[in-house]
Amino acid sequence: MMIPRPSIAVAAGVLLAAALSQTSPRAQTTVTTLTSPVTGNAANGKTLYCDHACYSCHGFNGETGARPFVPNWPPNLATERSFTAFLRGRANLSPVQPSTAMPNYAAAALNDAQARDVYAYIRSFKSPPPLPIDKIPVMKQILAAAEKPYKR
Amino acid sequence: MAKSKQSVNRRGFLKGAATAAVGAAAAGGAAPSAGTPQATQDGSAGGNAPPPPPTAEQIARDAGAVRPPAVMPGARAAVRPGSDLMVQVLKDLGIEWVAANPGSSFEGIQESIINYGNPANVKPEFITALHEESSVTMAHGYGKATGKPMCALLHGTIGIQHAAMSIYQAYYDRAPSLLIAGRDLGFIAAHSANDMAGMVRSYTKWDATPKTLPEALAALQRAYNEAITPPCGPTMVVIDIDLQKEEAGNLRVPAYQPPHFSGLDPGEARAIAKSLLEAQNPRIAVGRLRTPEGVRLAVGLAELVGASTSTAATQGPMSFPQRHPLCGPGATTSYDYTLGLEQPGGNVSLIGPSLASLLSRDSANIGFGGIAPGVARGGGGGGGRGGRGGRGTAPAGRTVDVDAEASLPALIEEVRRQMTPDSQRVIRERTAAHGVANQRARTVALRQALEERRAGWDSSPISTARIYAELWPLIADEDWILASPSNFSGGHHTQLWDHNKPYSYLGSQGAAGMGYGAPAAVGAGLAAKSRGQIVVNVQCDGDLNYAPGVLWTAQHHQLPVLNVMHNNRAWHQELMFVEYMCGVRGRGTDRGHIGTTLRDPFIDYRMLAAAYGMAGEGPITDPAKLGAALKRGVASVKRGQPYLIDVITQPR
Repeated sequence: MMIPRPSIAVAAGVLLAAALSQTSPRAQTTVTTLTSPVTGNAANGKTLYCDHACYSCHGFNGETGARPFVPNWPPNLATERSFTAFLRGRANLSPVQPSTAMPNYAAAALNDAQARDVYAYIRSFKSPPPLPIDKIPVMKQILAAAEKPYKR
Repeated sequence: MAKSKQSVNRRGFLKGAATAAVGAAAAGGAAPSAGTPQATQDGSAGGNAPPPPPTAEQIARDAGAVRPPAVMPGARAAVRPGSDLMVQVLKDLGIEWVAANPGSSFEGIQESIINYGNPANVKPEFITALHEESSVTMAHGYGKATGKPMCALLHGTIGIQHAAMSIYQAYYDRAPSLLIAGRDLGFIAAHSANDMAGMVRSYTKWDATPKTLPEALAALQRAYNEAITPPCGPTMVVIDIDLQKEEAGNLRVPAYQPPHFSGLDPGEARAIAKSLLEAQNPRIAVGRLRTPEGVRLAVGLAELVGASTSTAATQGPMSFPQRHPLCGPGATTSYDYTLGLEQPGGNVSLIGPSLASLLSRDSANIGFGGIAPGVARGGGGGGGRGGRGGRGTAPAGRTVDVDAEASLPALIEEVRRQMTPDSQRVIRERTAAHGVANQRARTVALRQALEERRAGWDSSPISTARIYAELWPLIADEDWILASPSNFSGGHHTQLWDHNKPYSYLGSQGAAGMGYGAPAAVGAGLAAKSRGQIVVNVQCDGDLNYAPGVLWTAQHHQLPVLNVMHNNRAWHQELMFVEYMCGVRGRGTDRGHIGTTLRDPFIDYRMLAAAYGMAGEGPITDPAKLGAALKRGVASVKRGQPYLIDVITQPR
C-alpha cells in the first residue's frame, strides 16, 4: 500500500503544531493583560465555546482544567490573528493513542468569523485578582494546620 | 408453541396477585404470595374465586410461632450443616464482612452466616449488595484499607461473570480478597459449569473446587493464605451446594496454619544494617507495604537509623506517613546509601514477588494488559502499561526478592545489635536536622500549591481544587480514609492534605476500570465502621452510574461514607479524546458531546441518593455554599450516617 507523502504545507503545519503543543501555556512567556483589538461577537462566541466544549480543557472561565489560560495569557492568544492561526495549526495526523491535546480546527469546522467570536468571548473572561492566600479563610486554615507538630 | 396450563404470563401473574390481595384484604387475612398455587395455577386469570383463608400454619408463621416440621422417614435433615463449619473457618480467620446479593447456590452458607454462632451474623456479618461487581469492589476497597481480605459470595456462573471486572481490577491492584462461588449442578444448568473458576483464572491468584467437606474447609484456609501472601490478590473457592448442606457429623475445622512470608536471611540483614549505620546520609524509599504493621516497622527502622524517607502515601495505601519529620528530601539530598522497601532503592531493594510468579498458573493466560507472560519484572511502573503500580523503574542497585514487611523485624534487630553510642549521637543530630528541613520544605510546597489553586477559587461551576481544599480543615483532625481515586478530579489532596495513616489514601482503581469509586468507598466504610474512622469519596458522576445501588448498601448498613460528587456531567476524559479525534479529521468538535456527556436530562444525584434512603443535598453551584454543605456532610458521617453532596464542578 502506498502511503501518501504529506504536502509541504501540511508538514509545516505539523511542525508548527508540534512546537505549540510541546510548550505548555504555563511554560511560555505569558501576559496578564491583553489590549489587542477584539472584533468578534462575544455572545456568539459563548455559544460556540460551549458547543465545541472548549470548557473541557480550559474550564468554564478559562481558569481551571488541564489547560487554563487566565490570568496568564499565552502568546497564541495575544491577538485574533494569532488565535486563529493557532486553531488552524494544530496536529492533523491521527495519533496512535488517544490524546487530550488541543484539537485542530479547520476553517470548514470553525470559520474565521466564528474564531473571532470565540476569541471575543474568551477575552471577556475577567480575571479578578484572587485574594491572597492569607485572606482566604480555608487556605489560612490549611497553612495553620501544616504548622502543627506531627501526630502519630 | 402451545402454552402449558401451568405457565404464568406476566399479565396473569399481576392480575392473579392483585385478585388474591384484594380477596385477602376483604377476608382480613394476609395475602398469599404471588407465587402460591392459589394465585397462579390458572395461567389466564389467576382464578376468579376468592382465595381460601389462611391456614392455621400460615397464621402461626406470620405470628412468628414457627415450629420445624416433623422429619419424615428418609428425609434429609442436617443437625450440623457443613456450611456452619465453613462459616466457622471464616470466623477463625477474622473475616469481618461477607458481601453478596443473594443466590441459591450459596444459600447454605448464607443461612449459616445469618444464623450460626453466638452472636450470629457478627464477624462475619452479611452485607447486602445489589450487584456482584459491587460486592467484589467492596472487598477491594476493604482490602486496601486494612491489608486483610474481606469475603464476597458469588452465585454460579452468572455471579462470577458479573463480578469479573472487579476481580480483574483487584488482581491488578494486588488487593487481597476471598471469593466464594456457590455451585448447584442440579438446579439451573446455565448457572453451573464444571470449571467455574476457569472463567476468571487468568486474574485470580489461586482457586479450588473441593470435592468433600474437609477439602472445602482446607481450601478456604488456603485461599485466605494465598490472598494475603505477596503478591496479594483475589482467590476463589467454588463450593457445591451439597457440601454446604451435608451433615458434618463430628468433623472438626482443621487447625489453621498461617502462611510463611519470605524475609531476609540473617547474613543479608546484617549487611544492610551495617550499611545503614555506616552511611552518613542514609535514605529509605518506601513503597506499598503489605499491612499497617509493615508501615509501623518501616517507621521504626527509619527512626532508628535517622534516615530521610520517601513515601508512596499520596499514590496509595500502606506507605510511610507523609508528615513524619523524616519524610521528605531531608537536610541534604546527597544520599550515600538507599534502601528500597517494596520500592526501587539506589543500593538495595527489598521487593516481594511480582505477578511473574503467578503466570505459571494452569490457565489460558489471556494476557491482559501488563500481566502477560514475558513482561519484564518491574518494567513500566507507576501503574502504567507493562507493570504493577508502585514498582517503578528498575533500580540501579541490587534487588532482593523478599517481602519487605517480613524482613523488617530482622533488620531492626540487626541495627539495634550493631548500634554504638557514637552512631546514636550522629543519628540524633541527623534526625533533628532532617525534621527542620522537611518541615521547611513542606511549608514552601504547601504555599506554592495553594498559590496555584487561587485561580478559579470563586468560579461557578466549582473548581475541584476548592472541594479538596474546603474538605481538609474539616477532616484534618479526624481519622479519615480517602477511598476514591483522584486522577480524574485533579489529585489536589496529594499536595494539600497530609497522608499519615496506612489507609489515608487508597489509590487508583487498579486497572482504571470505571464503576469503582462508590463500592470501594463502601468497602472502606466497612473497615471504618468498626474502627471509628470516616470515609471520603470524591465521586465522579460517570463512575457512579455503573452500579449506583451501592449507595443503598451504605445506607442500609449505616456506613460513615461522605460522597462528594465531582459532577461534570460527562465522561470527561472521553469527551476530550473524542474532541481531539474530531479535530484530527477536521470535522469540528461541536458534536463531540454525543456519547460522552450526561445531559438532557442532567442526573440529580441528591434525588438518586434519596431514592436509596441516603441524606444529601445539592446540586451546589455556588462555591460560597460549598463549605457549609461539606461541614454538614462530615457531621453526618461522624454520626455514622452516609451522606451525598452533589457539586456541579468544573470539568477538572
